[in-house]
Formats: sequence, structure tokens, C-alpha cells
Amino acid sequence: METLVQSTLAPESGISFFALFWQAHIVVKLVMLGLLGASVWCWAIIVDKIMLVGRTRRQMSRFETVFWSGQSLEELYNTLHNRVNHSMAALFVAAMREWKRSHEGARPAIGSLQQRIDRVMDVTIQREAERLESRLLILATVGSAAPFIGLFGTVWGIMTAFQAIAASESTNLAVVAPGIAEALFATALGLLAAIPAVIAYNKFSSDVGKAVARMEGFADEFSAILSRQIDERG
Amino acid sequence: MRAGLIASLAGHSALLLWGLIAFPDAESFAVPQVDSLPVELVPIEDITKLRIGEKTAEVRDVAAVNPSETPAEEPPKPAEKPGESRVEQPTPPTPTPPAPSPAPAPEPQPVADPEPAPAPAPEPAPVAEPAPSPAPDPAPAPEPVPQQQEAAPAPQPIVTKVSPRSKPTPPRNAPEPPKENFNSKDVAALLNKIEPAKQTGETSQNEASLGSRRGQQDVRMSQSELDALRGMVAQCWNPPVGAVGAEDLKVRVRFNLSQDGQVSGQPEVMNSSGNPAFGAASSSAVRAIMRCQPYNLPISKYEAWQEVIINFDPREMLGG
Repeated sequence: METLVQSTLAPESGISFFALFWQAHIVVKLVMLGLLGASVWCWAIIVDKIMLVGRTRRQMSRFETVFWSGQSLEELYNTLHNRVNHSMAALFVAAMREWKRSHEGARPAIGSLQQRIDRVMDVTIQREAERLESRLLILATVGSAAPFIGLFGTVWGIMTAFQAIAASESTNLAVVAPGIAEALFATALGLLAAIPAVIAYNKFSSDVGKAVARMEGFADEFSAILSRQIDERG
Repeated sequence: MRAGLIASLAGHSALLLWGLIAFPDAESFAVPQVDSLPVELVPIEDITKLRIGEKTAEVRDVAAVNPSETPAEEPPKPAEKPGESRVEQPTPPTPTPPAPSPAPAPEPQPVADPEPAPAPAPEPAPVAEPAPSPAPDPAPAPEPVPQQQEAAPAPQPIVTKVSPRSKPTPPRNAPEPPKENFNSKDVAALLNKIEPAKQTGETSQNEASLGSRRGQQDVRMSQSELDALRGMVAQCWNPPVGAVGAEDLKVRVRFNLSQDGQVSGQPEVMNSSGNPAFGAASSSAVRAIMRCQPYNLPISKYEAWQEVIINFDPREMLGG
């Protein structure tokens, strides 16, 4: 008897993922699909940022060891300036390029070289920070908006469920439950997308801030070194 | 970025796959079989019901019919002591029928026994013979039976003996269980038994109270009706608002009601208080009683609300 009842009720009250999706209203379906896409995109960004931040940190450490190893700045520039550089190496190359250009030609423009080098390094830091921070805003947006989008899907689904209840003129829980379950599934997807996004956004923004601070520290140090060189030569 | 996107897609696919495996169609909850608790709505009158209905003689007939069979077999006994029966019950008129019945009985005796000389001898003879003598007269025999039923005094001792024999237990059991057991079925069943039992007892005790409710006790009003009376009075009452020491202003008023619900006489304030506002409170209580009349109460329970005592407590009545 029980098996019979279950078999008759099962197609109506399926709670599997796909059943929940296919039973839903078209608006709720769109919300679910959007949230799923947002989740996929967020995780793509998260994976990408994890790799980028790790790589940047390793590059900075390696460059610092090389830079402070006593190697000649000219040699270092010669090895680096043909490559595509990031973070500290980019800073170093930009400053060295400005230095080289200022000393090229008949009249070296040394008077405001210090300011130019600082400005070039500032621009490079901004560019690097922008590269590190790119797409973090997407994480922030998803983290703040996804719960509301899911809530919208839930509200819409519950509205539809109530209309269905009114149409079927039955308040039996077996009639009410599937609609509410599929509506709540939208909120679940919204939270599923939002929670990792918020956590990752906070982590990555702090990581980017640390990296930028580290680059600024290096820029100040390198600026001091170059300034000393300028004063010694001038 | 492509690596991240691929990793993310792969992760979500794995998550969905895991969800499909780990969350199949929801299993229905194992609902334990709960025994349904039978609930019966019992009107409060079944418990606080007046235990004495309006009596009529018809019900007594039913009770008296049963013992009537036994007296039909026992007419010889009154025949044995015709003189005693007359002495014991001079007032009831019915003893006369049994008296004539033995009277005709001696008449056939001379017919059967033409010997009138042995005067003492026939005395034992009628003792033996009057018994058959009512039997040969079937026509008069059934007639006196209904008369005895109506007027019952002649077999009065017999009936009192018979009725306890027939139903001694119900009157004993009946009053107790309804108070202890509130099972409605039991209450109803016992209440049904009470009526015939009590009627037999009453008919045997005082036949003069046929159809009157005066001699019956245990007339109680149900709580809902008392509350209704209290509510009616409370609606008309303007309590002494703002009086100091309202707890001292309980007024206990007794008043009599006539059968049409009008207050007869003047309500009497039964208590007193040193509170200076007590005069105002008591007069407001009396005023409320006079304003609310007539009271619409069940006339069948007039015995219960003929005299009513109401406590006017400002705190309770205001709350109610």
C-alpha cells in the first residue's frame, strides 16, 4: 500500500535537482540559470585569482632575491627588458627604462629625473594593481546581489505555488510542498553563488592590498637607490 | 582565465553530479501511526444537569407496573389481615376495594359451605379460600390493579420493598460515578438510570408530591447559566471607577426573582465595609440588579434561581 502511494506521488513531489528545475516557473528557471552561471563565473574568477595572486607573490619573492643579490642593475635590466614583466619586475624595468632614456642623447635630462621615475613607478603600480584587481568587482556584485536574485526567484515561485494552491482548492501539504521547495531552491542557488563570492572578494582584496603595498615599498626603495645614483652622478 | 573557467565548469559539473547521486527523490518521512484520540463533545448540562426532570404520573405508572405483578399474586396477604390493613391506612380510599373483595369472598363461602354454625371454623376456612376466591373473579382483579398503581398506598409497604429489590444498585452507583468519571457515555447511561430509580423511590415515599418539584432536591443550575446571569448583571453594572481601595468594595447582594425574571422585593446588601465608597458601590450594585431585570432564565430551574446571591467584585467583574 505504501509503495503504491509513493509511486503515485513520486512524479509530482520529486525533489531531485532536475525535477526541481523542470517544475519551476519560467521566471524561476531563468533566475536559477542566471545564478548557476554567476556561480560558474565566480568560481572561474576565484580560480584565476588564486593562481594570479600566488604567481605574483612568487614572482615578487624571486625578483627581490635576485635584486638584492648584488647583481648589477644593468645586467638585470638587460635580462628583463625584453620580456613581458609583471609586478616588481615591471616596476624595475619601467624605472630603468626612464633612467636609460634620460641618460641617452647629448644632453641628459637629469634635473627632474627623480620625479619622472617616481611618476613612472606610480603608473606602473596602478597598472599592476588594476591587473590584480580586475574582475574582483564581479565577485563583489555577485556576493551582494545573488541572495536578492535568489530571493526574487523564491518569491516568484511561492507566488506561483499559491496560485496553484488556489487553483487546486486544496491546502494539502503534498500540494503546497513541491512549489515551495522549488522556490526555495532558487534561494539556495543564490546563497551557493554568493557565499564563495563574498569570501573570495574579501580574501582577494586584502591580498591585492598587500601586494600593492609590497610594490610601493619596493618602489620607494628603488627610488631611493636611483636618487642616490642621480645625486652621485650629478 | 580560461584555466579558471574550465576548472569552475568542471567543479560545478562534479557538484551537480554529486547532487544527483546524493540527493535522489526525497524519501518520504516515516510517519508513525498515531492512534486517533476519540473526542466527544459533551454539553456541560450532562454534568451540571438538573437531576430531577419534570415529573408526571405516567412515569410512575411505569415504575409501579413492575411491582403490580407481585401484588397480584399476593392478594391473599391483605385478605388475611383485612382489619390491619384498614387500621394502617385509613386515609387512602383504595383500601376499600380490597376490603370489598374479601367481603364478597365470605359470601360465596356460605354458598360453598352451607354450614353457618361453626363460626370459628369458617375463620380459618376463609383464610384458605379467599385466595382462590379472587382468582375465580378475574374481572375485578385486573381492575384494582391499576387503581393500586395510581394510588399505590395499599401496597405501599410492598412497593417500597419491591423497588429496592428490583433496582437497589442504580441509585447507589448513579450519584457517585458521574462525579468521578466524566466519560460521557457512562454519565449518560447512569443519568438515564437515575430517573426511574428516583421516581420509584419518590413515589413510594410521598405520593402527595406527584408532579411537584418542591420536594425534590439537587436542583442545580449549570455553570453556564450562572455565568449568563452574572454576565447580564455585569453588563448593567457601572462599577465605582477610581474609588480608593477597590479591594474593599466587594458587595454581596441577595435578591429574589419571580418566575417571569423580575426582581421581587428589594435587593439586600449582605456585607459591609469601612470604605467610604462602599455606599456608592453597594448602591451601584443594587442599581445594576434593578436595571437588568427581567432576567431570562430557564423557567424549569426556577427553584435554583429563585433566590440569587451575587458578589460584585470590582476587579473580577471589570475583568470579566
